[in-house]
Formats: sequence, structure tokens, C-alpha cells
Amino acid sequence: MTEQTLTQEPEIAEAPKTGEWQPTILGILCNWCSYAGADLAGSARLKYPETIRIVRVPCSGRVDPMFVLKGFQKGFDGVMVLGCHPGDCHYAKGNYYARRRIALVKDLLATLGIPEERFHFEWVSASEGNRFAQLVAEFTDKIRKLGPFAGVGAK
Amino acid sequence: MLNMSDTQNAIREEAKKALESRGVTLVIGWGAGSVPFKTTPVFINKSEDVDKLVWNPACVNNLAVYLPKLAKNSRVGIVAKPCDIRSIVTLIQEKQVKRDNLFIIGLGCRGVVDAQNLEDQDFHLQDVLAIDWVEARLKVTTTSGEHLLECSDCLREMCLVCTKRTPAIYDVSLGEAVEPVEVKGCALPELPEERRKYWSEQFAKCIRCYACRQVCPNCYCEQCFADRIEPKWTAKKATTEESWMFHATRAMHLAGRCIGCGECSRVCPVDIPVAELMSEMSRLVEKKYGYQAGDPDEELPVLGQYKQDDVDPAQHGG
Repeated sequence: MTEQTLTQEPEIAEAPKTGEWQPTILGILCNWCSYAGADLAGSARLKYPETIRIVRVPCSGRVDPMFVLKGFQKGFDGVMVLGCHPGDCHYAKGNYYARRRIALVKDLLATLGIPEERFHFEWVSASEGNRFAQLVAEFTDKIRKLGPFAGVGAK
Repeated sequence: MLNMSDTQNAIREEAKKALESRGVTLVIGWGAGSVPFKTTPVFINKSEDVDKLVWNPACVNNLAVYLPKLAKNSRVGIVAKPCDIRSIVTLIQEKQVKRDNLFIIGLGCRGVVDAQNLEDQDFHLQDVLAIDWVEARLKVTTTSGEHLLECSDCLREMCLVCTKRTPAIYDVSLGEAVEPVEVKGCALPELPEERRKYWSEQFAKCIRCYACRQVCPNCYCEQCFADRIEPKWTAKKATTEESWMFHATRAMHLAGRCIGCGECSRVCPVDIPVAELMSEMSRLVEKKYGYQAGDPDEELPVLGQYKQDDVDPAQHGG
């Protein structure tokens, strides 16, 4: 990856006007890849929306499906889970287990009628700071268009 | 082909042999309930008591729920329908019970009855004297005579879509093999917002009695997440949000493990279609991974394994 791609400003959707509703996004990031990617985005001074609240986990294999469910129950407008690319897991196979679990979480959310656009799963490596910033910006933009999440129990 | 009372006698015979000469200390089966359209679990440890065992379309309970505790240290006999046996398979697979500790008296099954359906058809349950399968129909004997009902009108919902009607594993197999029926698709509303509202209405009814959990053979955790104070995954108060969290998590915990006996829906005092959520998850698991819970050929649970070429849930690809 060239220096330029590392530090290139990601395209961010138009900055919200003051007072406009801002989504709140839960981000669950693997320590070894995605969190390091987020760190790189920070060190490279890349701008990304401040909508994301990051929770660092040791591995995407540590992501209990309940983390995602709890996020929605607590009223987050979107939940993002990021892990190492398949084959790159620090613990060799944690993200392979995660892949099945996350696929089923998506199915469960669909069954329960939580719009699938509100959940985002992606592989982000430690060198992809730019991509991380881009993903957060895109996801924020998407959630902003969807509007606030009514909540799991809303009538 | 054995008819119902022959099967019942054969069950008693096998239970007796099991207790007397096969090293079985206890036989779990169904016994007559307080009324003819109900049965109750019975636990038999003396061979002279085997006549308490019955077999009829009211034998609804999935008795596998007792195995993790009762078959821990001794050999236990169990009378089981094909769905109960699939529960047993998952328990063996998940190392909750040893196959050697079980003596399975497997039965072919034509579906069991939902008492509510009888009531809906204007039967006064107190007048029912007996129920029996006759060919593909159900015979209800009441004080006013015999009535033949179509299975679709009186069986439990899960039985109507059941495709596995012969025991998967057994030590003795009794009763007739029955042709599987056609599978129904998903009955949930299509639009996400409608689905969310549907479940929100259902979970709003939940009183958090945990009957669905208690009756489920796969809910064997010694400490359930719902009972934990720290971390508090779900508060005990029965609000829609907290109940949503309980049911959503339970659905996730049972994804790829639920065999679809439908006990959760049956015991629910406020009629939440819990099994509907579970069976939709099972359908999706099968679609993605070609995995069916309770299949004796599977060695590991679906989430306890992975393949290099599994479906990738990442939006932009790996």
C-alpha cells in the first residue's frame, strides 16, 4: 500500500448541519487488525464521523452474538463488527468461527425484522486505516438516511 | 404393523426387560394424565410398575429434557418419539449425556395432538374418553360417540411440518414407520418493519416465566444468561425490550441446535410462537450450511465448526 492510499482523505458524506440528528453506531473491533486499522486512521489524521463507539475485543471470534443483540436492544442505530481477513487471524481460526456466527446473527436479525442495513460486518486489516475511515463514513451515511432506529420493542 | 395398543404393550414389555436384565435403573416414559387427552411424564424404577406406561396421540412431552441430569451416572431407559430422539442426538453430540448410559425405546410417530385444537372444534375436553390414530386420521372417543378428525385439524403445528417420523437412533424400535409430509415455508410477515412489529407484539406478552427454557432439552446450561446478574444481559422485568433480548438470545443459542419439537410454544402460557422463531432459524441454518440439528451423522454442532469456503457475511467480500 502506498503512502498516498494510507493518508488519502476518505470521501465523507456532507457534514451534518449543527443540531441535525446524528446516528450512534456501535463498533466491535478485533484488537489485532481492525482496531489497529482504526488506530492507523487516527495516527494518519484521517477524518471519519464521530458516530462510532468502539469496543475493542481480542478477536472477532470473541464477538458473542449477544453483543450485537444488546447493541440493538440498547437503542444503537447501527452495529458494526470488524475482524481480520480470513486467513489472517492472530489466533489462526477465530475469525472462521466468527464468520459462521455473524452469518447467523444476520439471519436472526432478518427473522426478527431488524433491517439488515443496520448491521455491517467487514474484514479490515491493520494496514487499512483508510478503508476503516471510509467504511465508517459510508455506514454512517447509510444510517443517517435510514433515520433513527425505532427500538426493538416499539409498537 | 403395530397398532396403538400393541405398541403400548410392546413398550411395557421392553421397559420391563430393560429394568430386569439390561442394567437400566430407570425408565422415563409417558403415563396416563388426570384426563384422557393428557399424559404426564412417569419415572419407573420397578419392573412391576411398567404398566403405568402409555402411548397415544397425547404423548406430547419431549422427555429428553430429563436426560442431562438423570442419565449422568447411571443407565436410563427412555421412551422417545423421533423428535425426542433428535434431541437426544444433540445431547450426545454436545457431550451432555453418554450414549452408553441410554437405552432408547424409539417409536414411529404420526404426530401428537394439540388439546387446544380439539377445544377449538367444540370438543368439551372433559367428555373426551380416548384418542387414537386411525390410518391418517385421528379418532376421538367422547361420551357422545366416536369422531374421526383430519390430522391437519387437530395435530400440533410442528407435527404437521415434521419430515422425520422414524427414530434416528435407538436400541429398540417400535411402532410403524410413517411417510414424511411436505415442509411448509416461512409464515412470518415479509417486510422487516412488519416483522419487527409482529415480534414486538408477541414479546410484549411475555411474562418471563422461562417455561420455554425449562422445557427445552437443549437449554441445559447450569446457569442461564437470563439468570445472571453480572453481566446483566437482560433485566428480569417483563418489558418488551428485555423480553426481546431474552428471546433473541435464546434463538441465537439454539440456532443450529433446535430440532423443532415445538415444546416451547406448547408450554407458553401467553401463546408466544417461540417455536416459529426457532424453526425459521433452523431453516436458514440448513440453507446456509446444509446442516440439520439432530442428525446422527454430524459430529459437531454447526457453530462449533467451520469450512474454508463458508458463506461470507461481509458486505464487500473478504
